[in-house]
Amino acid sequence: MSLRVLNPNAEVLNKSAALHMNINAAKGLQDVLKTNLGPKGTIKMLVGGAGDIKLTKDGNTLLKEMQIQNPTAIMIARTAVAQDDTSGDGTTSTVLFIGELMKQSERYIDEGMHPRVLVDGFEIAKRATLQFLEKFKTPVVMGDEPDKEILKMVARTTLRTKLYEAMADQLTDIVVNAVLCIRKPEEAIDLFMVEIMHMRHKFDVDTRLVEGLVLDHGSRHPDMKRRAENCYILTSNVSLEYDKSEINAGFFYSNAEQREAMVAAERRQVDERVKKIIELKNKVCSGNDNNFVVINQKGIDPPSLDLLARAGIIALRRAKRRNMERLVLACGGEAVNSVDDLTPDCLGWAGLVYEHILGEEKYTFVENVKNPHSCTILIKGPNDHTIAQIKDAVRDGLRSVKNTMEDESVVLGAGAFEVAARQYLVNEVKKTVQGRAQLGVEAFADALLVVPKTLAENSGLDTQDVIIALTGEHDRGNIVGLNQHTGEPIDPHMEGIFDNYSVKRQIINSGPVIASQLLLVDEVIRAGRNMRKPN
Amino acid sequence: MREIVTIQVGGFANFIGSHFWNFQDELLGLAGDPNGDPIFKNQHLDMDVLYRTGETLQGIATYTPRLVSVNFQGSLGSMSSHGTLYDHNPPILSHVVTWPGNVSTHLSEPHKKNLFLQSLYEEEQENLAPMDGINSGKNDCKSEIQDKDIVESLENGVQFWTDFSKVHYHPQSLYELNGLWMDAQDFNNYGIGMDVFSEGLRGEEMNERLRFFVEECDHIQGIQFVVDDSGGFSGVAADFLENIADEYTNTPILLYTVRGPESYMNQRSRRQTMACDLHDAISFSRLSSFCKLIVPIGLPLLGRSKVSSYLCLEDENPYHCSAVYAAALHSISLPFRMETLGPATDSCYVSGAVDVYGLIQMLAGQARQNIVATLDAAMPAPSLTGKQVERSLLGSLHPFTPEIAEDVEDLQEVESLTIHGAFGSGGYRASVAEVEDTVHAAYENATTKPLFSHLSVAHCPLPIPLPFPSIFGNLVGQHGELLGSPVTGGHPSRGSLDVHSIPMAARLRSTSAILPFLENRLGNLRRFGIARGASGTELLRSWGFAKDELEDSAERLSKMIMTLDPHSQSSSDSD
Repeated sequence: MSLRVLNPNAEVLNKSAALHMNINAAKGLQDVLKTNLGPKGTIKMLVGGAGDIKLTKDGNTLLKEMQIQNPTAIMIARTAVAQDDTSGDGTTSTVLFIGELMKQSERYIDEGMHPRVLVDGFEIAKRATLQFLEKFKTPVVMGDEPDKEILKMVARTTLRTKLYEAMADQLTDIVVNAVLCIRKPEEAIDLFMVEIMHMRHKFDVDTRLVEGLVLDHGSRHPDMKRRAENCYILTSNVSLEYDKSEINAGFFYSNAEQREAMVAAERRQVDERVKKIIELKNKVCSGNDNNFVVINQKGIDPPSLDLLARAGIIALRRAKRRNMERLVLACGGEAVNSVDDLTPDCLGWAGLVYEHILGEEKYTFVENVKNPHSCTILIKGPNDHTIAQIKDAVRDGLRSVKNTMEDESVVLGAGAFEVAARQYLVNEVKKTVQGRAQLGVEAFADALLVVPKTLAENSGLDTQDVIIALTGEHDRGNIVGLNQHTGEPIDPHMEGIFDNYSVKRQIINSGPVIASQLLLVDEVIRAGRNMRKPN
Repeated sequence: MREIVTIQVGGFANFIGSHFWNFQDELLGLAGDPNGDPIFKNQHLDMDVLYRTGETLQGIATYTPRLVSVNFQGSLGSMSSHGTLYDHNPPILSHVVTWPGNVSTHLSEPHKKNLFLQSLYEEEQENLAPMDGINSGKNDCKSEIQDKDIVESLENGVQFWTDFSKVHYHPQSLYELNGLWMDAQDFNNYGIGMDVFSEGLRGEEMNERLRFFVEECDHIQGIQFVVDDSGGFSGVAADFLENIADEYTNTPILLYTVRGPESYMNQRSRRQTMACDLHDAISFSRLSSFCKLIVPIGLPLLGRSKVSSYLCLEDENPYHCSAVYAAALHSISLPFRMETLGPATDSCYVSGAVDVYGLIQMLAGQARQNIVATLDAAMPAPSLTGKQVERSLLGSLHPFTPEIAEDVEDLQEVESLTIHGAFGSGGYRASVAEVEDTVHAAYENATTKPLFSHLSVAHCPLPIPLPFPSIFGNLVGQHGELLGSPVTGGHPSRGSLDVHSIPMAARLRSTSAILPFLENRLGNLRRFGIARGASGTELLRSWGFAKDELEDSAERLSKMIMTLDPHSQSSSDSD
């Protein structure tokens, strides 16, 4: 209580009140996200004070849109969002799991049990569950030719929880092909090499995979071609604009002529650079019908554009930094930082380059490339919030494919793992634990069931019936999950319902850590603000 | 044509920006208004420098600021983050194409449009459907909103910067930071804002917004960056600036760090004061390292400062204070967009055009490479003729930069002065040549004069748009002329209904008067952060600063001081 002496305004919540504040916050957050889970969950439409719409079924997006104020809830939310950052999915499950751990603990604590004992049990159960996960997971061999079917099943499982079935299935093919496209042997998968571009145009079903690149800008000269076939692609990071600040800052001129001369000299330098590009173009395009496209990361000013246009070159300026890398992966060649030693080897190739204009927005498609290692997912939709939602789903889908390839294993979904792990803990681990920590193991085991329970609840099924049916099957040695339509047990393997191993492991890992911290809190001290004030 | 892209980061920066764009919008409106004051007809200012032309999907032409604004989620009040121009078909609620299952709709309480925004909206509707007899009949009785009531409602309650904005913004312009999960008042130090830019996709998205505007520029002259550096937004801005410096290496950045009144208002404990001092030092040191010229703006008690001799404003009201700073920023930006007719021929409407690069070179690129400039302004600027001509105009310029020394004699001072709309003898607008002659004469006679002074003059005064706050004292006339005796009757403060335009003078100065500002920051950083057993070490560590980073920051500040004062004692290691 020394703080009281130091700051009489500081508010101190005693142990029991602090604990219950934490439990309530965790339960509150769980309630908000609960309805999201699974292919039968509820989509949320958030309408802001100015009428802006956000559409989401993704826990991660939803958390970010919420103005969370409660410190406990913020702590849980940060863990859940970190979960998404590292493994790409599982935000909702993390929040549900933490909430359920707290809820289960509450029962025991209300009966007078010390949180420390529960926490010890959590630790034992966590380790046991992680070991069980290792046994339970389904290994997937990723050779030179990964099994496309299993990748599709994982992606489909994720996507069907975010979008309607037909759309999810369409995107499943897209994301799997996209990841396979950028995959390079012996290297980590860099999902940034999949460009995600969107157009407010047509319908969601017009979303497609472009093997090649779509840029969100066009050439800036009226005489440049809007469509060209058989194109050499020069990817460059060279300033093609007259830039006063490039001149040595220390120079002075004494009259207007001198100044003009300086300007002219500088202009000449820029023109020289342009001419070198034109020379290369003439070298590779003479005697054939091929075209030449320059995609530059730096600026190109109108005089330079003029020169290039007159030479029949299509030029784009201020390309995204990442597109420099993507272009080379898609078209070949190399990105050049100087025009001094340009050779035909620097050039990439695309069968087709064309521009698409929507109002003031221009898009440039670089397509028909040979053997691409970068590609673009082009999302279309009638309005911004639909596009944003599809975009979130695509990101999750890509992550799930990447995870599968990196984990080289998957986990049976539809609640199968959670039920199996629970039975394992209750039937086997619990017996080996001495004393009251057993109860911690039991609480942990029951908390795992939050996933199948919530899936059942969201499908309008009776949770008790479902859990009894599922655990019964498991005790008979059958690994089953929940059929969301009928409430009957199903074999997830047969149905192709798989989750990511790394996502599951992360949830099992981080959930108990946060729950333990929240349970072991002694006092909550907050100086300067009234905590009991309703948010 | 040489474009400028403007970036506004943080609460008060957007308040200033809102006024700034209101001025531009007013200038555009007055230039096209057949019944308007002829002085606004030929401004000889190229608005394309700040604005972009575009078109909506429906093919309607648009003209919007080339702007990226960054702020908290929820800080846009009743304005949609997509702006108002490009969304012609508001989507039907509860119709979700991507999900066949349940939909739950969570409606936030809609922000009510205030009288001003209502009247703007109605005006727009009338313009859209001028032929529709039935509707216009309805509108006639509805649009009874009086200007007087609008002004009053704004005086009584401005909550968001959008409340007094009359400008249409591009959908790419307004960026909201989401998922911060904290109150605005807790987002109050550099450390807390540091990871915000890099977390998730925020940095990427901000860069993309900026790239959208830069790609369109044929020949960008610079970036005008305004940041509210009183809290976490300086951390966000520093990361953003670092990215910009990296990506657009040769594009000069003119950085204004601004402070709203509330950052000075809170009663603070000693610990909080220390946290603020450390924040100020770190923030200034970091921000200054990513720009070519930095101008600190924001007085603790603006209403009681000399600058406000003819103003009557509430110190604690951001709507009031931001208007004053915005006016000065507007004046400083005039030379960037003056139409140049050639080197020899001076226009009789404008003179002294200079681009962002030129201005920065002038102030920071000469012999003394001092990148910190102070901002002074006179609002409204006094007339050229009057008693003691010379002193009145130059002497009426007072600083907007805090913590600077007065009456410093600095032989190497460099300045850039902009005067526009000034009155000459007999209450007529002075010609450009008259202004130039007067200023030159004033310097000839002055006892101390700067080493170099650049003068830009424009004929066109600062227009006062309707949503401008009522902050003029009763000695200010309808055209901003200073009256001999107070206007009798009426309210002591006068606003846009009484004052239609004002002459302005503003200047940027590279001067050693800034030394106390720098020394305070360096001193605080050393005392609380670096010295052995310093009380702020723990705090700085929690912000994520290691000792060597702090020493780098101190080194940078100390170099800045050395530049201005080679004999400085405080810059040599005191401990």
